[in-house]
Amino acid sequence: MSGHHISSAKFLWGVAITLFILTFLTVAVTWIHIPEPWNVVVAIAIAVVKATIVAAFFMNLWWDSRFNLILFIMSIVFFLLLVGITLLDTLYRVDPVPTF
Amino acid sequence: MSQPSAVEEKLDHLQHHFIDSDQQFEASKLGMWIFLVTEILFFGGLFAAYIVYRAWYPELYLLASEELHTFWGAVNTFVLIGSSLTVAMAIRSAQLNQIKGLIINLWITISLACVFMVIKYFEYAEKIEKGILPGAHYSYDGIEHEKANIFFSIYYMMTGLHGIHVLIGIGLMVWLVFKAKKKVFHSGYYTPVEITGLYWHLVDVIWIFLFPLLYLID
Repeated sequence: MSGHHISSAKFLWGVAITLFILTFLTVAVTWIHIPEPWNVVVAIAIAVVKATIVAAFFMNLWWDSRFNLILFIMSIVFFLLLVGITLLDTLYRVDPVPTF
Repeated sequence: MSQPSAVEEKLDHLQHHFIDSDQQFEASKLGMWIFLVTEILFFGGLFAAYIVYRAWYPELYLLASEELHTFWGAVNTFVLIGSSLTVAMAIRSAQLNQIKGLIINLWITISLACVFMVIKYFEYAEKIEKGILPGAHYSYDGIEHEKANIFFSIYYMMTGLHGIHVLIGIGLMVWLVFKAKKKVFHSGYYTPVEITGLYWHLVDVIWIFLFPLLYLID
């Protein structure tokens, strides 16, 4: 286990260029008007890929201690729990929309 | 008695309660990751609000996001990814003992962060001019939806909290430049650069989600 992974400059540029291309792609797919709900699915999927690339190769989780990776994944799990349990309430209300 | 040697490792940074530099570095990084977990959950609350209201008013999000300029949102995405690259380069410079490169890369990162904030300022100014303010202060009538203010409350909260994080990041990196100029960092000790980098990448990751969720609804 080494906390001192040194990435080459070429590699870091490669990561950034990949992220630039994915950013362009996520804008470009809105021009072809994918029908609901797939446009949201595609947008989120591209964002998840980009975030994974940043976490793995810029934040060095790929080479880092597994424990840091587990912490990161657990935060996402608890976020999904928050959203999931909240939606179980808000999606199934008889009188769904509050005044605010 | 240990003999002082000319190539003795610099250990000024090592706190007495750590065995060695590596243990201290790993402990700092673990601490930063725990902080980042709280950051993810902090923003998570806002993302949850976004999701709940989008499920309630899907048509509102379609209408209201037309007020946001995809072009400038995309430019800011490129700017932040670019700044993530330069922060990674700054860490690489520190690891290789290239202190000049470290300072240059930090300055480029600070500049890109400022570009982001300037673009954000013009976006906010344009909306405030039109009366697009959060909550009860909303007075714009260009959107045919009685709950239009809700979208913008969420917009201002999410981008505002993110913007505050960018400003804090700028402050941290200015501090790193001063430390670097005082020759504090070298290949054996660059922990503050590393963990500020982690923070900065997280700010980038948050924006990677904010951009499609707010600007790219068509």
